[in-house]
Amino acid sequence: MLLAGANGSGKTTLLRLIAGLLRPSAGSLRVFGLDPVAEPLAVRRRLSVVGHQPFLYGELSARETLALWNRLLERPWPAATIPELLEAVGLEDAASREVRTFSAGMRKRLSLARVRLERPRLLLLDEPFAALDQDGQDLVDRWISEFRDDGGAVVMASHDLSRASGHGARAVLLRSGQAVWTGAARDLGERLRMPN
Amino acid sequence: MKPITWQHALGALGLGLLVWGSAQALLVAPPDRHMGDVSRIISIHVPCAWVGLLVYTIAMVLAVGSLWSGRSRWDAALTAAIETGLVLTALMLLTGMLFARPTWGVWWTWDVRLTTTLLAFVLFAGVLTMRSFLEEPRRRATWTAVATIIAWVDVPLVYFCVRWMRSIHQVQSSPDTIDAAIYWPMRINAFAVLFLALWFIVLRTRVERLREEVDEVAPPAPVVTAA
Amino acid sequence: MRALRQTVEILRKDLLLEWRRRARLVAVLVFAVNVLLLFSFALGADTGTLAKATGGLLMLTLLFSSILALGESFRAEHEHAALEGLLLLPMHPVGIFYGKAVANTLFLLLLAPLLVPAALVLYGGALPAGQLLQLLALWAAIAAGLAGPGTLYAAMTGRLRSHDVLLPLLLFPLVIPVLVAGVRSMSLVLTGDPMAQLGGWVGLLVAFDVIYWSLCGVLFPYVVEEP
Repeated sequence: MLLAGANGSGKTTLLRLIAGLLRPSAGSLRVFGLDPVAEPLAVRRRLSVVGHQPFLYGELSARETLALWNRLLERPWPAATIPELLEAVGLEDAASREVRTFSAGMRKRLSLARVRLERPRLLLLDEPFAALDQDGQDLVDRWISEFRDDGGAVVMASHDLSRASGHGARAVLLRSGQAVWTGAARDLGERLRMPN
Repeated sequence: MKPITWQHALGALGLGLLVWGSAQALLVAPPDRHMGDVSRIISIHVPCAWVGLLVYTIAMVLAVGSLWSGRSRWDAALTAAIETGLVLTALMLLTGMLFARPTWGVWWTWDVRLTTTLLAFVLFAGVLTMRSFLEEPRRRATWTAVATIIAWVDVPLVYFCVRWMRSIHQVQSSPDTIDAAIYWPMRINAFAVLFLALWFIVLRTRVERLREEVDEVAPPAPVVTAA
Repeated sequence: MRALRQTVEILRKDLLLEWRRRARLVAVLVFAVNVLLLFSFALGADTGTLAKATGGLLMLTLLFSSILALGESFRAEHEHAALEGLLLLPMHPVGIFYGKAVANTLFLLLLAPLLVPAALVLYGGALPAGQLLQLLALWAAIAAGLAGPGTLYAAMTGRLRSHDVLLPLLLFPLVIPVLVAGVRSMSLVLTGDPMAQLGGWVGLLVAFDVIYWSLCGVLFPYVVEEP
């Protein structure tokens, strides 16, 4: 599922609602048949978020960050997973550096590695391509495809339609918090070229 | 013309009782044997203290309701209760000082009840101050409720603490013996202040609700939710 | 069991962060010694007066330093929205609270080995050698009393403008019982306890700790969860 729309149209808000980080001011929503407000733990067990913010501690190294996250999980991975994961996101040389010295792109890569730890079934991506270089964007492309092939669901908000529309079967166009158009993702580009 | 509603009946009842009670205290009761006319102020000082603490307790109940239900109606009433409580404790402190000066020659004594009330005033004033820094309505409601519960629980702890501190330090304590003549006016005023306080809370809640409605129709500025 | 493991992980993470920013810990220590010095100048550098007030001055120093320590404890959580990331994990937020509250208590506990000797040297007095353990336990109870509600209020005010003013505004009146009980019991440990009053004050401290550590644990999820 691809969320499109101008800045401030409500993409991030919708993602935060799904994640249970916001409570709907009216109405309700169901994620995996559960109310994210009433049963946050059950919903969060199944989803992961890559947002604008990297959810990191500046004074921890990349390796420590992943180790911390891993130990907080209900089913932690064996310790050997972490170097593998760092290598997969191209951070193996920066593994011992504190995150505060990282560029925005490197932080995004670390967030991606974190998400891999969490074994989500639903992935919420807010501008996943932003701040990443060509190689990083290709990595995200590849991971999303793999994730969907494994049966995971993706809800993604992105401005990079050429990349993003390859991943969504469906797309929603938001304007001022309203869904103004729903259709196949491949038609979205055409829809956006139309005046309103 | 709107018909007189039950809320205003509350106010009228309170005002009527206040006039009656105060007349009893100021005109009918004889001056105190030891303290003279000054002691008449007790007839309003003590009711303000009682009702003030009661109103804070009401605020605490409203805070629990606000957290539990998450509805803005509770939040409006909660704020109204804290504001009313602050007014009452401020009056209590002020009349206390007016009483202390001629009686003991000082404006302030570290009397257990005065000190506890002062602390309650500072605690709840802090809650309102924090509230004024919050713009997002739901977060404001939650945090006000949380801070109210925390502040309320502190009041009895402060009371015991000051009492022990004082019992070791023997200084003068306020006279517990109140002239029988002022006893009944004080009771009448207690009910008067109670009804007035409830009236204020109801009115203030309504004002807050109306403001919310106005904000919904014409929002002051788009509130950006902080990440 | 899992909640306990997660609490320990949060605590470990906070201690590691604290270690990485140890320059800050040193700065807080230097600040605390400065405050102790300021008190001796303000009170006229008279050993007699100072010796009598040692307990109170130590407590005030700890209180001022705690504001610096607590205010900082949520900066790292908000900087890159790490707290939000933690909340998105399938873990109960209460683990975050207790992990951070214990970390803050330990931070305040770390001030003791420097502050107590410094105060005794500056203000005149001898460290009661036989009561070192007692003093440490007392300091821990005081530190916990400040860190419990302090962690909750730091979580609330950390994201606000003027959080540097709001945290002391909310925390100082709240911890008056800790202050009073702390001063009394500290003085009793330092100068002897002929009338066996220590037990009552320590009881009050422990009661405060138990009440607020439970209450804040219950309220913390409301504060950090956006809904």
